[in-house]
Amino acid sequence: MSTAQPDSAEHAASLLVEIATNRNRRAFSELFHHFAPKLQAYATRQFGNEQTAMDLVQETMTNVWHKAHLFKPDRGSAATWIFTIARNIRFDFLRKNKHRQYDLSADDLWPILAEQNDSLDDDYALDDDLLMQQLANYCEQLPVAQKTVIELIYVEGKSQQEVADALAIPLGTVKSRTRLALQKLKELIHSDD
Amino acid sequence: MIKSHPSEQLLVGYVAGELTPAMLMVVGTHVDMCPHCQQQVQDIEEQLAQKVMQNSSRVSSQLSIAEADAMLERIFNSQQGIQQPVAHEVNNLISLDGKRFTLPPTLARNSRHIGEWQHMVSHLWRAPVQVDEEQPLNLIYMSEGAQVPEHTHKGQEATVVINGVFHDEFDEYRDGDFILLDGHHKHTPATQAEDCLTLATLDAPMQFTSGISRLLNPFSSLFFR
Ligand SMILES: [Zn+2]
Repeated sequence: MSTAQPDSAEHAASLLVEIATNRNRRAFSELFHHFAPKLQAYATRQFGNEQTAMDLVQETMTNVWHKAHLFKPDRGSAATWIFTIARNIRFDFLRKNKHRQYDLSADDLWPILAEQNDSLDDDYALDDDLLMQQLANYCEQLPVAQKTVIELIYVEGKSQQEVADALAIPLGTVKSRTRLALQKLKELIHSDD
Repeated sequence: MIKSHPSEQLLVGYVAGELTPAMLMVVGTHVDMCPHCQQQVQDIEEQLAQKVMQNSSRVSSQLSIAEADAMLERIFNSQQGIQQPVAHEVNNLISLDGKRFTLPPTLARNSRHIGEWQHMVSHLWRAPVQVDEEQPLNLIYMSEGAQVPEHTHKGQEATVVINGVFHDEFDEYRDGDFILLDGHHKHTPATQAEDCLTLATLDAPMQFTSGISRLLNPFSSLFFR
């Protein structure tokens, strides 16, 4: 058994990488002997119950063993990753103990162990871009006069009066061009559905 | 640009998992939308983890060598996937009245808890998000030109704007803004030219305070519960 302590963050992180890539039992044992007693102290304070505390330690470290590949060193330390796993398990234990009616699970609040952790965030970020891109494409299909008005109002944030002044056209014309353009955009969007 | 954020105390409660489920959802939704608070959350995670993981000198381990070895054995013999969380259907789109909104990740992951839209009063709709047995959590949709009668709260009202803009006597709130009000604040949320989708939780029924809307009080629990 190694005598080096996983006290240093780099060492603990390298143990996790070793577990993830080589399923190295010795690396896991070292990590276990370092973190399990601390998790046990934390869980005992939280639950005031020896057995539940032991269950939390076991479930947390079982996840560490199987899910080490989900640890992302750039996002935080090994200690932090293991702590957040314990935090999730604690949350689920507490709700289970109280026989809660709704099946709210910690993984849906803090998805640290989801295999594709970033996909939803990416979708969420992408969606706006995609929508804007689509809208931009649709705008290209508008007559130039309508497109100009739409850009000034919705991209540059000008009021209809300001657009009328800028283009030296009557306010009524700006309004009707806006209406026609939005109508056309709506048709284009719906025809794509 | 998000300008109102949860307090550090709330963020610590979020990271520790020590808020009510409804409040965890509201704060989590803000964090989804706010890069600033995402950074804060990471910092708090590191701090809490350090407290738990580095206070070893005071802790005399009660984990005996035999217990530790037995546990290690069980872990090595365990099957991958036993702790696999059940994969729920995740839906990040919600629609109402022909409009479609993209749900931030926390809500999308919990979309199976979102109930049917109900029309409350003229410009107001709500859909319950059933995650909390004690504290109601609702998606609230205000169409253009909506006004919620002036009210105070016996408890706290926490709101995060998901899409759109609304204002009250104090300020204007846009995508991602987090608003926490307690019984000392009276306010009259309203929309103007734009509609607004929010996620809001109350820990007590609201009390209407002005004019004829006071007549609503006996029914206020019907509105926001
Ligand atoms: Zn924030």
